[in-house]
Amino acid sequence: MSNPQHPLQKILENRIAIIDGAMGTTIRTYGMKEADIRGERFKNATKDLLNNGDLFSLTQPKMIGDIHRRFLEAGADIIETNTFGATSIAQSEFFVDDPREHGGRKDPEFYQKIIDDASLSALAWEINEQSARQCREWADRVGNDTGRQRFVAGAIGPLTVSLSNSPDADDPGFRVVTFDQVKKAYSEEVRALIAGGVDLLLVETIFDSLNAKAALVAIQEVFEEDGKKLPIMISAAVGRGGETMISAQTVEAFWNAVKHVKPLSVGLNCSLGPDLMYPFLEELSSKADVAISAYPNAGLPNPLSPTGFDLEPADMGRYLGDFAKGGLINIAGGCCGNTPEHIAAIAKALAHQEPRRLEHHQEPEAVGARG
Amino acid sequence: MSIDTTEFRPLRLSGSQPFTQQPGIFIMIGERTNVAGSPKFAKLIKEGKYEEAVGVARQQVENGANVIDICMDEGMIDGVAAMSRFLQLLASEPEVAKVPFMVDSSKWEVIVAGLKCMQGKGIVNSISLKEGEEKFRKNAATVLRYGAAVVVMAFDERGQAATYEDKIRICERAYRILVNEVGFAPEDIIFDPNILTVATGMEEHNNYAVDFINATRWIKQNLPHAKVSGGVSNISFSFRGNNKVREAMHAAFLYHAIAAGMDMGIVNAGMLEVYEEIEPELKELVEDVLLNRRPDATERLVEFGEQLKASSTAEGTTTEKKTEEWRNGSVEDRLAHALVKGIDTYIAVDTEEARAKLGRPLLVIEGPLMAGMGIVGDLFGAGKMFLPQVVKSARVMKKAVAYLTPFMEAEKEAMAAAGIEVKTQGKIVLATVKGDVHDIGKNIVGVVLACNNYEVIDMGVMVPAEKILERAKAENADIVGLSGLITPSLDEMVHVAREMERQNFRIPLLIGGATTSRAHTAIKIAPHYSEPVVHVLDASRAVPVTTSLLSEESRQSFIDQHRAEYEGVRKAHAAPKLKAVPIDEARARRTPIEWRAEDISKPSFTGVRVLDNFPLETLREFIDWSPFFHAWGLKGIYPRILDDEKQGAQARQIFTEGNALLDKIIEGKLITARAVYGFWPANAVGDDVELYTDETRSTALDRFHFLRQQVNREGKEPCRCLSDFVAPKETELQDHVGAFAVTSGIGLRELCDRFRAEHDDYSAIMAEALADRLAEAFAECLHKRVRAEWGYGCEENLTNEELIQEEYRGIRPAPGYPASPDHTEKGTIWKLLDVQAKTGIMITESYAMWPGSSISGIYFGHPESRYFSVGKIDRDQTQDYSQRKGWTLSEVERWLGPNLNYDPEG
Repeated sequence: MSNPQHPLQKILENRIAIIDGAMGTTIRTYGMKEADIRGERFKNATKDLLNNGDLFSLTQPKMIGDIHRRFLEAGADIIETNTFGATSIAQSEFFVDDPREHGGRKDPEFYQKIIDDASLSALAWEINEQSARQCREWADRVGNDTGRQRFVAGAIGPLTVSLSNSPDADDPGFRVVTFDQVKKAYSEEVRALIAGGVDLLLVETIFDSLNAKAALVAIQEVFEEDGKKLPIMISAAVGRGGETMISAQTVEAFWNAVKHVKPLSVGLNCSLGPDLMYPFLEELSSKADVAISAYPNAGLPNPLSPTGFDLEPADMGRYLGDFAKGGLINIAGGCCGNTPEHIAAIAKALAHQEPRRLEHHQEPEAVGARG
Repeated sequence: MSIDTTEFRPLRLSGSQPFTQQPGIFIMIGERTNVAGSPKFAKLIKEGKYEEAVGVARQQVENGANVIDICMDEGMIDGVAAMSRFLQLLASEPEVAKVPFMVDSSKWEVIVAGLKCMQGKGIVNSISLKEGEEKFRKNAATVLRYGAAVVVMAFDERGQAATYEDKIRICERAYRILVNEVGFAPEDIIFDPNILTVATGMEEHNNYAVDFINATRWIKQNLPHAKVSGGVSNISFSFRGNNKVREAMHAAFLYHAIAAGMDMGIVNAGMLEVYEEIEPELKELVEDVLLNRRPDATERLVEFGEQLKASSTAEGTTTEKKTEEWRNGSVEDRLAHALVKGIDTYIAVDTEEARAKLGRPLLVIEGPLMAGMGIVGDLFGAGKMFLPQVVKSARVMKKAVAYLTPFMEAEKEAMAAAGIEVKTQGKIVLATVKGDVHDIGKNIVGVVLACNNYEVIDMGVMVPAEKILERAKAENADIVGLSGLITPSLDEMVHVAREMERQNFRIPLLIGGATTSRAHTAIKIAPHYSEPVVHVLDASRAVPVTTSLLSEESRQSFIDQHRAEYEGVRKAHAAPKLKAVPIDEARARRTPIEWRAEDISKPSFTGVRVLDNFPLETLREFIDWSPFFHAWGLKGIYPRILDDEKQGAQARQIFTEGNALLDKIIEGKLITARAVYGFWPANAVGDDVELYTDETRSTALDRFHFLRQQVNREGKEPCRCLSDFVAPKETELQDHVGAFAVTSGIGLRELCDRFRAEHDDYSAIMAEALADRLAEAFAECLHKRVRAEWGYGCEENLTNEELIQEEYRGIRPAPGYPASPDHTEKGTIWKLLDVQAKTGIMITESYAMWPGSSISGIYFGHPESRYFSVGKIDRDQTQDYSQRKGWTLSEVERWLGPNLNYDPEG
């Protein structure tokens, strides 16, 4: 009754798969300016767009392709689409007037307009689909050249709004957005990513577990409605205390809350450098019965270093090598501050390391009453 | 038939914390947040008093509920709205949010609304086969999709199962569908085989408890890993109003049901008798009823119940047993507890008590309340508290402040009436900088500040510098706060700081957000703006920083301390692996000094002089008192610190006592000050300074070896070395250097021992602190004398303050300090001056001086001489230095470890 084994699953049992580094901080090294991200298409936008990095997939596809190529050549098995903020909700920050500037507030009514805005939906769709195609093209090209299959993960980011937190001092029960609105925005993203040809869906940098839950429900609904299923990867961002950054959930509590989607992998990324991440990864690894992924930041932000982060490629290689020696990981890579050179160092350091052992959990057989 | 014990698969749930079922441990589900189970809760919800309703939930958790059941099924309540709102409030209540929630409703839309509000894995209560298999399957699939466990009622198309046979038939059918068709994990299925009321007087009800217990046993044996639950209070419904009997029935029923395998139950965690403690007579009567042991069981128990009721109407029950022990502490402790735990129940009462105790409302805020928030900040910083808890604390703070506000208003009015100027509350403009859309963290800061009664103007995200500053001007803001999450925001913050400087802003700038750091703020932002630029690590720090910056009393000392700290950060960050100038090039970039004979003074003597028993009263005039206060943990600058609002009283006290002890020391000559110093003809040779036996300069006496700056030299900045301040040999100028060692520690140990023998540690520490000050004063005093004897200091007429600011010609760097980091150079001073024989000061093997209150150094007299920090040095210089010192490279690397710009192992 179980699905045929996914080719990536097979890899994870035999070696540590490599996932790519950070898109945002790598884009920065290309020295792009406001005019570059705008191109012709967005030249009249009223707000600054430079930090809306997902738009580069539309206006500077060559650069994005170049980054994918470099990560693949550095040894990444999995590359992520440039879609961290490619939802109508996140895009609205760049294209819609902030009501707070005119004495208003952001609330479910405001976000309903965002959700109903056909042009934002179309833009989000286009970014996701294009980005997925760009990844697909490079993954297949480098995959064919090297004779090693590469995988495209559709990156699903955390949004700029929280379902767990109130911005209103006087009303802790207030939420700016509803679960259904968030779910709708994620559904659109998921469909577009699948249309663009991704192999996997990666719900990542989870600050707020309820946002993540909306994404996971959206994914399952799309699977059911469209009759197509892809493996799901899940990755949370925890702070120094080991809790999701906004909703303060511990890793074990988080795992209990997402286990039911039977993900291909669960793990941690962003927010912490590898040293600070270690104990929480260890905890997750001891609780979860699926593959474990880790792609930490290159240390903590350090504005004095050229990449903006503390750790150099060799450092990341060493730290992730320690993860592997501890038997903690099946998928490894980097988040903010990790360039293709970092990924190459990580790939090299892990090339001959054993992956964490994956228990073969029997799907519960059809049961009847024993009487 | 035997129980399958091959594997225990626990039910795993979560709120913000995980919950794992332990074998043999009954899971208590709190029932007081159920409108059907608690009239009090129902009333609160109907009246919209949600905050108090949240208190009911908190009490359940405090009383030990592992999971809380939430039910809003009541005709007058809009279930969907009430469920959503209540769960969203609970999400902001960290003590409650840690446990899993059970969403309880007979209306499917209410259950779905609940599922959309839980970040963790909760329980749905309930689904059943009542409306057929198709509906059952569909609802179960939805529950699974949202990741909850599920309670299945023993109910089907034909109705509720009352008998053992019906119960097990329906449960088995549901189990097969859930596991085989829907794909439910069997350990996530919780059967509720219906606990129905016994002792109703109807004979067919008499076996209900037995049927439940037997069905439980069957389920546990035949449906692997499934759990059993039930609403316990139903069993005793006939005895409404007689809590004693009800508690005994609950305890006895649970005792037997748990023995049969019941995993969990909905119970009032505060209303449970312990089975062993039920009176034997009552226990027997109760068990007769529950276990259906005799036909007249009901009558007997009813009769007994009536007697009980009559005899003990006044007697309390075990309801809400748990006393709140923290209420017994002092008012300060109670306020701190309330803030840390986020409990607002008693905040008004406690705040009033503190106000009565301290006299003024402001003292309550600045005293116990700020102290409590300080604890919150520390716990948060240590990762022991989390954002939602901090926000919760801030809300309690707000309530306390709100309570005090009318008193403060009254006070203000009184002051205004008396003609005293009243300062208004602070106004803060917050914005996420241009190009950045992240503002969740900034919003939290806004909430915390608003809770502390600051007026917060939140400009949202992607706000350009000019808009922020325009608004700050228009609003006459007291502080601007910038936030940013992504790296490019850092540059934008620098831009805002520059603009503030250009537009002559005079208000502090706060920096926060995930990528910001103290180092970045100190190094990259603060230098562009003359007013304080403070990095705020997290929301919990926003209030103390803002309060300090806006308080007239503590503003200056905060800023002084802040600036010193950031200066330290800037220095420390001249740290790892910096670009180094090769030593040859560094030498070419020596301090540019045009060597002229008129800049060189000739000392009035050469050789060595000793000053013994130097008058302590003279030294007293040279004391720099600020470090004395720092030694006692008081931060501030003397003499201002004596008038400091908070520390002033303490500062004045130790100042008075210190001076009293100093009087005694001087009068009784309890310690002795001694110095030795000298001058020698000298010239620079490369980075060394060569000392000669006499003015012919033909015989070298000894050599000082110095190090040269190599890193962090931007543009044409000189690479300094102390030898730059001595005329190079090739100039043939007749230059000199001096050296000294002073101590005020002779006799100090004996003095301190005496105090300690009298158990007067305070005076012992005071004596040490004073001796330290006297040693510094001695070095300053001797330097003054040396400048005169060197012939260039005679024209000085400096006050002690100017001396402390070092506004004179010449320097006296000490080996082991930044300009000359090699401690071993002290050895040369000891040799030249014969320090140990002449003063009694010894150097240890690690070149520390003993007694502690001692200082040594080298004198340079050239007008261009100045203090600087050598900083990191590269391998080429250590190699060169090892040759000059005649040491091995590894010896040099050992002594200069902290200064190496490379890894000696690598």
